[in-house]
Parts: sequence; C-alpha cells; structure tokens
Amino acid sequence: MTCEEFERTGGDVEPDASLSAEARAAALEHVARCPRCAALEESWRLAKSELRLLAASTEASEAPARVEMRLRLEFRTRHRSQKMRHLAAVASWALAAAAAVAVMVTWINWRHAAPVKQPVATHVQPGPVNDGSQDGAEISTLVADGRAADFTPLPGSTLSDTDSASIVRVRMQRSSLGALGLPVAEDGANDWIQVDLLVGDDGLPQAVRVEN
Amino acid sequence: MTTGRASKIGSMRIEERVTDDVLLGRAAKGDEDAFTSLYRRHQAALFRFALRMTGSNWTAEEIVQDVFMTLMREPRKYDANRGTLAAFLFGVARNRTLKHLERTPRDLSLESDLEHRIRPSALQDSFTPAAWAEQRERVKQVRDAVLELPPEFREAVVLCELEEMSYEEAAQALGCPIGTIRSRLHRGKALLLTKLELLRDVPRRATAMS
Repeated sequence: MTCEEFERTGGDVEPDASLSAEARAAALEHVARCPRCAALEESWRLAKSELRLLAASTEASEAPARVEMRLRLEFRTRHRSQKMRHLAAVASWALAAAAAVAVMVTWINWRHAAPVKQPVATHVQPGPVNDGSQDGAEISTLVADGRAADFTPLPGSTLSDTDSASIVRVRMQRSSLGALGLPVAEDGANDWIQVDLLVGDDGLPQAVRVEN
Repeated sequence: MTTGRASKIGSMRIEERVTDDVLLGRAAKGDEDAFTSLYRRHQAALFRFALRMTGSNWTAEEIVQDVFMTLMREPRKYDANRGTLAAFLFGVARNRTLKHLERTPRDLSLESDLEHRIRPSALQDSFTPAAWAEQRERVKQVRDAVLELPPEFREAVVLCELEEMSYEEAAQALGCPIGTIRSRLHRGKALLLTKLELLRDVPRRATAMS
C-alpha cells in the first residue's frame, strides 16, 4: 500500500471498520513501516477519540417537551377541523339530497294532478254533498262535464257565478231530492239515481242534474 | 431509550412492537397517540443530527418540529416502498438542515448552545475540576472545528463518527454511493485534523515526523 492509498482509507483501520480484512492488513503493514503515515494514523486516532467525546456529550440530547406539546396541539386542531369539514360536507350533501327528493316528489304530484284539471273545476268534496241528505246518498265518481245549462237550480239559488263552482257526482235515493227542495213523485221514490250537484264556493249545492 | 421513555408514558397504550407504518396509518386517521408515539420514537435521533450539524439547540428544535409538521400535513409524501419511515424523516431533516446552513451565515450557527449541553457525566474520566474544564474546552474546540467543516463533509463526519453509522448506513441516509461517503469522510477528517492541530497550536505531526 502506498501513502496515498493509506490516506484514502481515512485511517479506518479498526477491526470493525468498513475496510476488507486484506485492505486492513495492508494498511496496518504500511503504518508499521512508514513513520509519516504512522503519525497521520495517530492523529486520526486522537481526532476520533475527541469526536467520540463530543458525541458522548450530546448523546442524550433530545427535543424539548414544548416541541411535542406544540405538535400535539397542532395535530388536535388539524384533525378537529378536518372532522368539522367532513361533517359539514356530509350535511351539505344530505341537505342537497333532501331538496332533490322534495323537488322530485312535488314534480311527480304535479304531473299526476295535471290531467284531472278541467276547464270547469271538478273535484270531489264529500262534506258538502251530504248536507243533511246523507240518507241513502253515496259519492260515486268525480268525472262530469261542466255544462251548467243542464242543471236545475235549487230553490233559493241562482246560477249567476258557476266559474268557480264544483260538480260532485253522487248516488242517492230519489226521495233525497226532496231534502234539496225539489218535488219528488211518490212512484220510484226509493229508486237509486245518479245526480250531479253543482256546489258553490260556500260549499252549498246550487243546482242539480239528474242523470237518466 | 425509546423503550424506557415509552414505559414512562402511562396514558399511551401504543405497543413498542407496532411498526412505524401502522402507527402512521393510525395517525393519518386522527389517532393522536399514534402520532405521539412516532414522534417519541424518532425525535431524539433527528434532534441530535440537527444539533450536531448546526450547533444550535434552537435551530435543531425548529428542524425537528418542521419534520413532524411535514409528516402531519403530508403523510402521503412517505412511500413505504422507497424506504423506512426513519430514513424518510432523516431525509426531510437533512434537507431542512442544509437549507438552514445555506441561508444562515456561519457566525450565527456557531452559537454556543452545544456548550451548555455538555454533561459532566460525559466527561466523567476527569477527576479534577481543572482537568474537567480543560476537557470541556477541548470538546468545545472539536465542536467548533466540526461546525466549520463544509456541510457535505460535516454530514459524513456527523453520521460516521458521531452517530456511529456504518458507511453503508450513511450512504443510504445521504443517498450516495459508499465510495462518496468514504471520500467525504476522509477529506472531512483531514480538514478536521488541520483545524484541531491549529487549535492545539502545534504543527501537524505528520509533517513534523516526515
């Protein structure tokens, strides 16, 4: 081994060093016969021992406790705000979904209700139909046409405003017409007939149409 | 040290055998104990490295805090396929340290924090106060000499001589070939010898004897 080669080993000639056994043996042999390199090796050894003293003086060093405290505080803050953001996102999505469902239900209801609409409003209002003449009367169907001219006004009522009136179709015994103020023949008084009632805004029948 | 410290922690239920990767996974999901356990496992080594590289207790503290902030904010930066978590943390600490050394004038990094950290127990072979003081002064001189080395040589000296890593471990930590470590260490030690002998106020023995 030459002096240059020895210098390149960095004096790393201890048994646990990274040099191979052959290189280490060659280095030691060179040191034994070269006073300059022996002195260099001695300097390295001295420096190493001083470095180890320096290492020992700081081997127990560790970050102060305040660093851990700061990090834990930051960790808590970060994850709490993350949780809050997550919850807010979930709540927003839930609200959006609920709104979408509400809109869809409304739209479906509107679509179903739309074909029922007629030029003259026709819908079933069972309450007013009975009007004290419930005996033998029953609600049949809400389908009826709106020709006001076919209706016979009930006593005491005028057919002046029929735009907002409703037509209610009921089945009743012929004798029940008497309760509405109409004359009823005794023959067939117990027959069941189908009657359209024109019901005004006040819920009272204004006119009647008897189906043949 | 890690085991001893962990045993003191009454509230922590993290087992020592739980791997870093498992702990990191838990920490990413918000488990504070897992994060704390990771911190306690690695902070001392990172702190020592930063302290020995910068000579400043305050800077080392900042660097350790930065490293774990990075881990907390961007845990996905760590890829288990590319190395251990310890290596990843060391890499982050090293980058922070080198950046600090680049932007901070040498004079500022040579504050004497380290001097205050020298423990009498480390110098227990000194029997007299005078000898203790002399040795303490010597340690300070060695520390100053190390801190005056260029960063790449200083790293090699700190890792191989102070941290007592093998060349292979140091090469892995710095991401360079073993030959580079050997060469940097050799040049670092040569510079160190020169500085120390100048400090001793004696001529180089090699020169004197040749």
